[in-house]
Amino acid sequence: MARTWKKGLPHLFLLLYLVVILFPFLFVIFSSVKTDNNAIALNPFGLPKKLAFDNYAEAWVKAKISTYFFNSLYISILSSVASILFGAMFAFAVTRMRHGRWGAALFGLILVGMLIPNNALMLPIYTLVRKLHILDTHLALIIPYVANAIPFTVIILAAFMRSLPSEIEEAAVMDGLRSGGIFARMIVPLTVPAMVTVFIVNFLGNWNEFLLANYFLSNDDLRTLPVGMVQFRDQYQMNYAQMSAGIVFSVVPVIVIYAVLQEKIIEGVTAGSVKG
Amino acid sequence: MNKALRSPAVFLLFTLPALILFVMFFIYPIFSSLYYSFTSWNGVSTHVKWIGLDNYSKALEQKRFWVSVKNNGWFIVFSIFIQVPLIVLFSLLISHVKKLKGLYKTTVFLPSIMSTAVIGILWGFIYEPDIGLLNQILGTFGIKPVYWLSDERYAMLSILITNAWQWTGFYIVMVLAAILSIPGELEEAAAIDGASAFQRATQIVLPLIRPIISVVIMLSIAGAMKAADIVLVMTKGGPAGSTEVMATYMIKYAITNFKYGYGNTIAVLIFIFTVVVTVLYQLLVARRNERIEY
Repeated sequence: MARTWKKGLPHLFLLLYLVVILFPFLFVIFSSVKTDNNAIALNPFGLPKKLAFDNYAEAWVKAKISTYFFNSLYISILSSVASILFGAMFAFAVTRMRHGRWGAALFGLILVGMLIPNNALMLPIYTLVRKLHILDTHLALIIPYVANAIPFTVIILAAFMRSLPSEIEEAAVMDGLRSGGIFARMIVPLTVPAMVTVFIVNFLGNWNEFLLANYFLSNDDLRTLPVGMVQFRDQYQMNYAQMSAGIVFSVVPVIVIYAVLQEKIIEGVTAGSVKG
Repeated sequence: MNKALRSPAVFLLFTLPALILFVMFFIYPIFSSLYYSFTSWNGVSTHVKWIGLDNYSKALEQKRFWVSVKNNGWFIVFSIFIQVPLIVLFSLLISHVKKLKGLYKTTVFLPSIMSTAVIGILWGFIYEPDIGLLNQILGTFGIKPVYWLSDERYAMLSILITNAWQWTGFYIVMVLAAILSIPGELEEAAAIDGASAFQRATQIVLPLIRPIISVVIMLSIAGAMKAADIVLVMTKGGPAGSTEVMATYMIKYAITNFKYGYGNTIAVLIFIFTVVVTVLYQLLVARRNERIEY
């Protein structure tokens, strides 16, 4: 008896935690197939007898999920790829090229970026973006996103490149490759595993970013998913069933990606924070 | 032989794109913020008036500013005294169980990869007074509806709970990784000596994971000082400014009220407070955590 208690008690606590995490999602799914607020109030904890899927159709159109979804998708991918490209070039130069003192100094400078509370820089970045005449275009998000991810990208990629054996360059130079060739044909292919991790972290950060996306764009068709969702909520606050369908739309892609790549995501995201 | 890797021109070419972006979006903004914090610029006009420390003395006199500082403080207090004990407890529990380890780890981590904006919307629905999940549950115990987000007494607490819900699992996974990397022989030896599971957890594991707990606290402090989107999405700083944090206060003045100079003063103050809190923590607490080697 005491043994079963000892074995069961930790699971009891942990299952309770799982319920606290998962039940809110379940509540939203239940609510998303109910006809209106009244139906949610009458039967909050279960599925209704008749499932109302039209909330999904209406939310898709009214919340313009498709527009926001693709805006978010291409902004996030483009920014993440660009920061990896620039970050990898930088990391290559400071770790593999023979400019030891300069390399160390520049790398140290970039490291400082990890310590800066970036929300506090939002105002000067806003005026900078306005001076560049890209306010209210997607570039107003893409360029700051790329810049913002540089310190983290450089730190992870530099750590990885440093661990590659130096015989690589020796062989490459023998073969007559120049710096560009060594970078593109030897170092980049070897660094791909680290790049995947960095890509996931950058992508999630950009996909979820709210502050810049909220204040740097005013054209409705340009908005990203988090901002579009908040706007949808503010407009249709009274209709919680429809809002729930909107939440499901914006959460499902992340859950699907997470289900497939969870090991890589957990490793990448936690590595990033520890380094920071 | 390595001529190819010595060319300064190529070195410059490779480092320049990242460097330009870094200078534009990290270095320049810091000095720009500092400069405009001494002016009364509205952010648009061509005329920039230097007013010295006026913005600073104004901010330090404003009751609303101190409310926002206090709320950032609540974020820190809540994470150190509520979240950290839960993080330690649950990571010990997950490392202790043999079955379902993977499921627990994957699930507790899930909220941290989601957009704070969407989680704010989701929890806004849970806190909804008439049909929200929380009041429906409390209602079954006969408790009258609580206006979680529009009652000044509960609004800040409601935000803190949402924030904890999103981030606790993230830190659990970090601490769990540290626990699992402790060599098994240590615990086995203690078990042979007759130490109970509880004794092993408190006498062996806990002291060994102190460095990572210190990291968790540092990250929580950094996160607390940056908090903004969760407040904007859930309460917009209301009711009556009671949930305002420094970053939302800054945005409100600079972008909504065109007090750009004053907004930058707040940005500089966020910097200063972050540095002060971090240094204080390092001096008072973290210094005693020496490096641990197995």
